[in-house]
Order: sequence, then C-alpha cells, then structure tokens
Amino acid sequence: MTAAVEVQGLWKTFRIPHERRTTLFENLMGLIRPNQYEIFTVLNEVNFQAQNGECVGIIGDNGSGKSTLLKIIANILRPSRGAIKVKGKVTPFLELGVGFQPDLTVRENISVYGTVMGLSRKEIRDGMDEVIDFAGMRKFEDSKLKNLSSGMQVRLAFSTAIQTQPDILLVDEVLAVGDLDFQQKCFDVFNRYRQDGVTILLVSHDLNAVRRFCDKALLLRKGKQVAYGETGRIIDKYIYREEEHVIPVENKKTRWGNKKMEILGVKFMDKNDKENSNFLSGDPFIARIYYEAHEPISSPVFGIVFYTQDTYCYGTTTNFEHMDTGMVVGKGHADFFLNRLPLIEGSFQVTVALAPPNYEFAYDWHDRLYSFQVHRVNQNQGIFDMDGYWKLEKYE
Amino acid sequence: MLTGYHIQELYRYRDLILRLAWSDFKLRYKSSALGFFWSLLEPLLMLVVLYVVFSNLMRTQVEHYQLFLLLGIILWNFLDRGTSMSIWGIVGKPSLVQKVYFPRDILVISTCITALMMTVLESVVFIIFMVVFRVMPEMTVVYFPILFILEFFIILGLSMALSALNVYFRDVQFIWRLIVQVGFFGTPILYPITIFPERIRWIVMLNPMAQIITMMRDCTLYGISPEPANVAYVAACTVVLFVLGYAIFAHLEPRFAEAI
Repeated sequence: MTAAVEVQGLWKTFRIPHERRTTLFENLMGLIRPNQYEIFTVLNEVNFQAQNGECVGIIGDNGSGKSTLLKIIANILRPSRGAIKVKGKVTPFLELGVGFQPDLTVRENISVYGTVMGLSRKEIRDGMDEVIDFAGMRKFEDSKLKNLSSGMQVRLAFSTAIQTQPDILLVDEVLAVGDLDFQQKCFDVFNRYRQDGVTILLVSHDLNAVRRFCDKALLLRKGKQVAYGETGRIIDKYIYREEEHVIPVENKKTRWGNKKMEILGVKFMDKNDKENSNFLSGDPFIARIYYEAHEPISSPVFGIVFYTQDTYCYGTTTNFEHMDTGMVVGKGHADFFLNRLPLIEGSFQVTVALAPPNYEFAYDWHDRLYSFQVHRVNQNQGIFDMDGYWKLEKYE
Repeated sequence: MLTGYHIQELYRYRDLILRLAWSDFKLRYKSSALGFFWSLLEPLLMLVVLYVVFSNLMRTQVEHYQLFLLLGIILWNFLDRGTSMSIWGIVGKPSLVQKVYFPRDILVISTCITALMMTVLESVVFIIFMVVFRVMPEMTVVYFPILFILEFFIILGLSMALSALNVYFRDVQFIWRLIVQVGFFGTPILYPITIFPERIRWIVMLNPMAQIITMMRDCTLYGISPEPANVAYVAACTVVLFVLGYAIFAHLEPRFAEAI
C-alpha cells in the first residue's frame, strides 16, 4: 500500500493583529506605530499517513484544528511549517454548492458547480440527466435556483458534487445537514466511493458516523495530535479523556433540605475509574455521591433521578432497591452502578437526594445539578437502548 | 507563477475559466428587462452626452468625430470595466477562495474575459455606426486585433495586482476609481493628441492607453499604420505591467483564504 496523503511535521499559525488594518491609510500610519500580533497556533506538529483507499475520520472539539487541517490538505491554506504529500486528484467537500448563483437556472448551476468541482464539459453533459433525476428535480430544471427551497439546493449541490471521480475526498461535516433520508443517501454514496478505492478524510462531530465509516481516526486537541489509529480505540480516547471535569456548582433554587446530612458532591466515573462527563452508550457508568452527616442519621435514603430535557427517564432510591443504609454519621460516599448505560444519545441531567425512609422531607436535594453526555454507538432511536433483537420466521 | 507548468495547468482549467466568465456575463443581463441592450445603451448614452458637449469644439479638427469618440469610449470602458470588476474578483467570491481550490488567477482571468465579452458586444454598436456613416476601414485595420490583444494583457496585468492588493487594503478600489477618472480626461479620448503643443505630446503619450487608443483609431478610421516604435513601446509596457501584476499576485496569493 502506498500513502495517498502524507502529512509530516505540519504546523499552522495564524497571525491575529491586535487591530485589524484593512486600508492603505491605516497601513501607512502603521509604519509609524507598528501593529502587534498575537500568534495563534492552530496546528502543532501533526503527522499521519492515510493509505490508498483508507477512510480516516478526524475528530476533536471545536477549535481543535480539524477544518484547518482539511483546508491545508486541499491547498486552500498553506502550511506554516511541515510538508504535505498528496497523490492523486483531491476533491474537497467543505461546503456544498460553492459558486451557486441564485439567478441562474438549475441546469446552468449544475454546469457552473460541476466545473468548479473539476468535471469536464463532456462529463457534465453526460451526467446532467443523472444529476437532475438523482436530485428529483425534473420539473424544476429550468427554474431559477433562488426559487428552490434550501433543502432542494443542498440536494442539487450534493447530486452534482458526487459526479466527481476523485482519488482523495475531503469531507467536512457535510453529513450534518439534511434529514435522515438524505444522510443515508450520503452514506450510500460515500460507501460507493470507498468501494471504488477512493481515499476519504472525514471531519465530523458525529462519532457514530466516524465509527461506522472510518478505518482509522485522528484525534486532535487544541491543534495537537493526540492519537492516530484504529477508530474504536481513538473514539474511546476522545470520550474518556484524561483531564478532570468540573462539575457545576450549586445554585440555591435547585438545592433544598435541612442539611442535617449533606451531599458534598457527585462524580460520574467511567469504565477506567476516572471522573468524566462523557460516556459511550452501553458502557459502565457509576454515579458517586459524597455525603457528610452532621449528626447520626438512621437509615437515610439515597435517591437518583435521570432526566433528558424535561423528560423524567428513570428514578430509584436505596429504599426501592431494598437496601438499608443503617446508621450513618460523618463522611462517605454511595455508588450507583450501571453495568451498561442504556441511554442512546444526548445530554442527561441528574438529581440526587437524601431523605428519611418516609420521604416526608429532604435532608439535601440537588435538583438536576449534574449532567453528562452520552454518545451513540449504533443507529437506534429514542432515549433508551432496550437491548431488543429481531428474529424472522418464514412460513414458506 | 508564470511558469510553463502553470500555463499548462491553466489550460487544463480552460473549461472553468470560460464557464465562470460566461455565467458572469449572463448574470449581468439576466434580471433586466432590456437584457443585452443595456450594454449597448450605456456607451450610446455616453456618446450622445459627450458628442453634444464636445462636437462643437472638435468638429473642425476631427474627421468622423462621432466614431472617433465612440471607439475611444469603448476602448477606455474596456480598461475601466475590466479592472473595476477584477478588483472584486477575489474579495467578492469568498466561497470560491475558501471552500475549493483551483489556481486563484483563474478568478481574475475569467473576470477579464467577461469584460472582454462585454466590449465585443459594444463593438457591435461601433460597427453599426461605421456602416451608417459609410466609413469603410482600410487594410490598416489588421493592426486592430494586435493592439486589442495588447490592451487585454495590460488590463489583465493591472487586474492581477489590483485584485490581490484589494484583499489586504480595501481602499485600493477607491484609489483606483480616482485614477480611472483622471485617466479618462488625461487620455486622448474626447480629443485628439494634436490639441497638445508638440513639445509636451510625448508626456501624454507615455501613457500606453493613450498610445493604444490613438493607434487603434488611426488604423481603423483613418487608414494610418501605427509606427513600429510605438507598437514596440506599448508591447514593452504590456510585458512590464503583466509580469509585475503577476509577481504581486503570486506574492500575495498564499494568504488569500485567511485574509478575505
């Protein structure tokens, strides 16, 4: 195998002036009083190779330099230091519909955009009908682009763009637009590209898309390359990151109780026994509740409730689970275990509470003070992943 | 940037250059009721105004003053339009610079070709005028395309520099407007070069546009062949402007996507 894309010791810095000078006059004045610059390092020593026909996902938080990396590989930005070697024709899908003109007709726009994407005149002529049919725009082929809905414009752009036959495809969050149906279409097309042996570099926040689709992943954090390798391992590394997470501080309206026994804090622990607020669906999860009883308390009840937005998902207490906590005094912690986090995806809020067994009042109630994120690992929909499975019996 | 490799690359992108130029050209007339007639009307209206004002002053000295004036206006418009449109060639198309890659000079070249198309369209008016006034060009008209091509490359050279500079210094567009305004009066468009006393004519004629317009009129309307020395001077100016324009462009191009 040969490397289709090779990135060696890549650095990219932007110079951000303290004041932006855009006119000649300001620049002339600047000769007297030099402008000061902030050097902002967007990419810091990135090294990786994408082999021919491989699909590489690039993941990381916002501002970690993912898009900049793609733009440098596409030759739109130039590296400050380091080298990029690219073998073959590169087609960037950084934005769909680049150069679309609202006042031209659908057909004319296909021609213009197709040419921008590097199609020859003949390819455009031959592919025209296919594009129009794929986008489902037979009826509108001669209407002006501005009369189409934005969804239709995206569909048109996508149908045109996929006519290209690149060796290397750079994709930036294109999959994020459009409905499920459209996303599925995108996947089908990218799978076709992959089967054709096209090397694909995909920037995405949709970790599940990266997991389904990519052989390898590159994790960037603040411009630094954290890891590069097999997708599952890299996603794990991204979710179960090593630095500490600060849990939100208390707020009076969301906390009440007589404080004879207090909840000092709550930590969510991941499968590596590290505190975390990001979890993969189906992984082990522990909520650790730290308490302090200022006087001896008999059989206090620990409770925990999960919400997503305003939906009450699940609630349980030590009492419901027939656990007697006995006499409690001083400090300690209670762990709430989930061997398999059964939530599919999203942001979840957690209420924890301490109350006497008859629930007549609260010692301490932290109402939705804590939250964590769940990232999907499959395509199931809804809130809970219920471990369902299918079986088919054919009568004939 | 002006290497053999780059020229080959431009050749490979010829479809894109022409497609961008043509779609830009079409867009200019797309939403107007009169369509292409606007571009014919504009020089005509200008001609009428200037003719009414200046014909009394010039008639005695200049044969076919209306044609003389019209050709001057069309040729100057070519420069004015080509450069003014190109100033926006990079800044006005951020998505083509920031979201895809092709050699960026294509944007400027295609804009200049759009201006060329508009000028060709205007020339139709000029040809009609020649027929109406029964002025038949002589053999010397063969110099016309040569001079016209030189003018195109002057425009392209200027456009390269202006479009690139305007990315970093947005007042270039205003400064250039001013220069074009002054140039309109400083170039023999309304008047023949002969209105200047002999000893200062050479200063006016340092301006290559003055040379080009004068020679093009001479060969089209009056059957006078251009002086080889003058053609050589214009050609030299063209090469200098073109190379300099490209050098400025090539120097500023790498940071376009960041600076727009």
